[in-house]
This record gives sequence, structure tokens and C-alpha cells, in this order.
Amino acid sequence: MKFNKKRASTKQEIPTSSMPDIVFMLLLFFMVTTTLREVDVLVQFKLPEAEAIEKIENKRLISYIWVGQSEKIQLNDNIVELNEIQELMYKKRVALPNVIVSLRVDKNSNMGIVTDIQQSLRKADTRRINYSARLKQ
Amino acid sequence: MVSLKKKKSKEAEIPTGSMADIAFLLLLFFLVATVIDVDTGIGLTLPEYIPIDEQEVVPLPKDRLAALLINENGDVLLNKKIIAIPQIKENLKERITSKINLPKNKKLVVSVKTDRKTNYNLYIQALDQVKGAFAEVREEYSMTTYGAEVDELDEEQTKDVRDKIPIIISIAEPEQIK
Repeated sequence: MKFNKKRASTKQEIPTSSMPDIVFMLLLFFMVTTTLREVDVLVQFKLPEAEAIEKIENKRLISYIWVGQSEKIQLNDNIVELNEIQELMYKKRVALPNVIVSLRVDKNSNMGIVTDIQQSLRKADTRRINYSARLKQ
Repeated sequence: MVSLKKKKSKEAEIPTGSMADIAFLLLLFFLVATVIDVDTGIGLTLPEYIPIDEQEVVPLPKDRLAALLINENGDVLLNKKIIAIPQIKENLKERITSKINLPKNKKLVVSVKTDRKTNYNLYIQALDQVKGAFAEVREEYSMTTYGAEVDELDEEQTKDVRDKIPIIISIAEPEQIK
């Protein structure tokens, strides 16, 4: 007597015809979320760590100021002097009224330079700031 | 007889077999290039700039003010008492909680003042403690009154929490350089 194994009549293949579609969907997602780095950071800095931090919801509103280890200040793509900040930030504020200034300051800096920057920001009337910090592990 | 039948032309087709591979390559590129870094930090609104000779001094009752001083050696004074940075939160929480039901103009004001040579990291740590104190009081208030976390409240309730426990942090005017 012959035993014929019963085989399922359905195909045992994963349908691959829709794979490109799925992949394209993923691709689109990553294309949309990608923000290619626009600026080169020219200063060296290490962010401080904190616990009670919040996310900045709207990335388009952010304008960055970096302060590096050697007290260099970078705004946009350039190293700037302290007395230039006010004018530059004022222009930004005119273009984008509710701009948030994210201060990425090296954690070993002195408060002196931070205070100076804050004073310029107040004079330029860009008063929403955010001390960039990492979540403490 | 010559057959007049047209030669059947091959149907023009783009080979789609490798499309998945190409798509995968692109996908890989974007996967690698994506930086999903969320900007996090301590938010603050600076006071308006008013030239020194136009400034008015508004006296603040002592029980409303929590003055936080950080000097260049890293010593912290809270209302003239020396305190360690991790203790700031507990100290402030008590005072914030006691003012929940007071009217708007009687809430606690935390004033933070530093020297020019104070380490920035210390300042952030102190500010973090202050923010943390406010956040925890908000959380407790929301748990006891609404039985839910702050994130889960609806608009009206959130507004109530914000009104009851406003975060007022004042960055003191820097001292004139002598």
C-alpha cells in the first residue's frame, strides 16, 4: 500500500509581489523624517545633563547658539563675536517672531559668557530660550 | 506567398525583478542617514530688557521669594542658608505646595542668581532642581485632584494645573562689573 503524504493544496510561498510597495512605504517614511544636518558645528562642546527636561515640539522654530570649550560662540554657520549676536538675532526674530533659541553650551563654561549672551538676547527681544541638556541616565 | 503577418513585436517591459533591491538600497541609505534626535532641554523665558535707569524696583514679600544664589566655588544659598544642590527640590516643593490655593499674585517666585565665574553645569543642575520641584508638585496636585497624570489631563484641567502652580523663575539681573 502506498502512503501518499497529504499535501496542502495552498501554495507555501510568501507573496513577494507587494514587497516593493512595502519597502517604498518604509522608504518614504524615512525620507520624510530625515533631516540632513544643515550646519557644521565648529566648536567642541559637551552638553550638561538634567532630569526635568522637556522636548521642543516645533523644530522649525529653533535657532541654535553654540558655545564651545574655548568660549567661542557659533551662530548659524559662523563663529561670531559677542557683540554681533544682538543684531543677528534681531534679524532672526523679525523673520520668525516666536523663535526659540536653543543654547548648546559646554558644561564647563562659566556663567559669565552665558549671562552676556542672555543679555544680548534680551536686547534683541528673543526671549524664549532653551538650555539644551541631555537626559540624566 | 510571402506572409504578410506582422512580426509580433516584443512587448516593452521594464524589468521589475530588481526593483525591490534598489528600493532596499535607498531605504538603507535613509535609515543610516536619519538622525531622530529630539531636542531636549530646560525651557525658559527671559525677562524683557529694560535699561537700568528705567527699571523700577518692585518689592517682593519675603514669603513669596525663594532666592537661589550660586557662587563661583559651587556653594549654593537658598534664602541665605547654605544648601546642597540635591536638597533644593525638597525645600522648594514644600513652599510651592503651601501656595497652591493662594491667589495668582501670591505664588512663589524663584530667583536664580550666579556669579560670572560659576560653572555652567552647576547652574543647570540647580535650574533642573527648581524645574523638577515645580513638575513634581504639579504631578502630585493632578493626582490628588483629578486622579490622573499631568499628561493625561484634558485642556481645562491642564489649564487649572498651570494656574494653580505657575512656574515663575526669575533670572536675576547681572551685577554691574566693577
